[in-house]
Amino acid sequence: MKRRTGAGRSIGVALILIWSLGPIYWAIKTSLQTEADARAKPAHYLPTNPTLQNYSALLSGNSDIAPQIRQSAVNIVIECGAATIVTVLLATLAGYAFARMRFRGRNVLFYAVLATMAFPAYTTLIPLYRIMSTFGLVNTYTGIVLVYVSGFVPLATWILHNYFASLPVGIEEAGLVDGARRLQVLWHLLLPLARPGIISTALITFLFAWGQFLFPLVLSSDLSTQPLTVVIAALQGRHVVPSTLLNAAGVLAIVVPAALALAFNRYIVNGLLAGSTK
Amino acid sequence: MTVTSSTTTPRPAESKIPAGPAPVRRSRPDLLPYLLIAPVMIFIACLALVPAVFTVVQSFFKVDALDPPTRFDGFGNFVRLAKDHAVVGSIGNTALYVVIGVTLSTLIGIGAAVVLQKPFRGRSLVIAVLILPWAMPGVVEGILWTGIFDPNAGLINSVLSSLHLSDGDAVLLGQNRLLTIALIELVQVWQIAPLSVLLILAVLQLIPGELYEAAQIDGCTPWSAFTRITLPLARPGIAVTMVQAVIATLNVFDQPYVLNGAANTGASVTMQTYFISFQDLDFGQGYALSLLITIVTLLISLVVVRLVYRRVEL
Repeated sequence: MKRRTGAGRSIGVALILIWSLGPIYWAIKTSLQTEADARAKPAHYLPTNPTLQNYSALLSGNSDIAPQIRQSAVNIVIECGAATIVTVLLATLAGYAFARMRFRGRNVLFYAVLATMAFPAYTTLIPLYRIMSTFGLVNTYTGIVLVYVSGFVPLATWILHNYFASLPVGIEEAGLVDGARRLQVLWHLLLPLARPGIISTALITFLFAWGQFLFPLVLSSDLSTQPLTVVIAALQGRHVVPSTLLNAAGVLAIVVPAALALAFNRYIVNGLLAGSTK
Repeated sequence: MTVTSSTTTPRPAESKIPAGPAPVRRSRPDLLPYLLIAPVMIFIACLALVPAVFTVVQSFFKVDALDPPTRFDGFGNFVRLAKDHAVVGSIGNTALYVVIGVTLSTLIGIGAAVVLQKPFRGRSLVIAVLILPWAMPGVVEGILWTGIFDPNAGLINSVLSSLHLSDGDAVLLGQNRLLTIALIELVQVWQIAPLSVLLILAVLQLIPGELYEAAQIDGCTPWSAFTRITLPLARPGIAVTMVQAVIATLNVFDQPYVLNGAANTGASVTMQTYFISFQDLDFGQGYALSLLITIVTLLISLVVVRLVYRRVEL
């Protein structure tokens, strides 16, 4: 009995690992090959004669591809970083107020925040584009960051609300006096305790932002703001770019999120669960 | 603000009140909470609620950059959409994406969650690896999977030819509609299933071990313990999982866009919305199609919750 469940679990774990890592392995393998090796028959399942030429072509090659990859990598870092900072800052203040303060209209306003999470993100794609276009914010970092923040701030507020609500009440009582001091209490007493929640929220927001494609595809028209995801998809659309180079570009785009997911998986898992259970 | 109020706030007494998250100030409205939530509310009002209202209202207007001015058009956009073969085809495609995606991600979610239900050495490492596909951009995952589906050097064709099952040059995407959609959806399932696993796993963690021990003493087989204990008690988690999957699959864009381009064999409704709005510049029809997707998403989510969700009391 025991042994059988053990064997069953080993098979299950093996399947999970193959399913999760298989496609990533195949992309890394391909990215380390020359196009001729990658297309060889019978196929090489290991990267025989591994080479970094695809990566050097992407990052410092003479073609027009390298500058595009470099600029879009800078763009994606700026956009994700700014969106994360703004989202976490705003959501911390609102999450704290919704969880720890009483005021008229609190429930109605909080439900309004939560209700926006039920709508599919693309409901607002066209109007957001037209609003940004009216204000001249298409193809600017500001436009993209504003849209990201509006998309991610409801979930972030919800996660942080749940973290603040789970902290013991007495903490504020001890230091609480009046308006100005309440912010000091938030800053000195509650924020340190809520740090795991803030880290979770920041990671999840950053990963969501990194994964965006359709919004920046619509909101950024040239290389000055296009993130890595848009540039790589455009490379793929050209059809003349070799598959090895394309896989190397894909690997470059997943290095950051994969590293974050592996290093901080506990925070991410906790945040996701805090954000999904109602 | 409150600093100037010498008469209203009974400070010394207040700090001794043991209960309640924050003291209630009845004497005058307390502005601080409104200040704290204001930025979030402004963002949501301007960049979520106003655009949503836009979508609803403009669905009934002719908003076409190539055919100005904007004018009321009743159900004109919806009628034109219904006559558009590409749109009708994409609705059928999307229905397939939803059915395949929700089924697969739920089954994988339940299966993997059961594997991970009991603690074992290395479980947290397995979970860390498991969430990798969730953390990565869908559009890049589409590109990674082109290397799996490639008609010449792809992993699937390579394995088939190494096993001498075929010549290894099968064209997997873009020819057969059902196969194309199933394979593209597999890529999306790769991305969304990790969240399904986590959500169901979280519910399974709440099931007391004694239930399984008692079942075993009563002669329950592992299978009947699974169908009579695990599945019924996991229903809240399964419901949340399925709603997440419905929202994701109904709005699928990145994977078909990268893996199948604009071809009719796999275009989704969201892709048609994009083409109509940003290539044909007919925003009115784009609004109408967005509105339809939103309504269908909300309706199906409600139905799933009604059918699957059961409050569990332990």
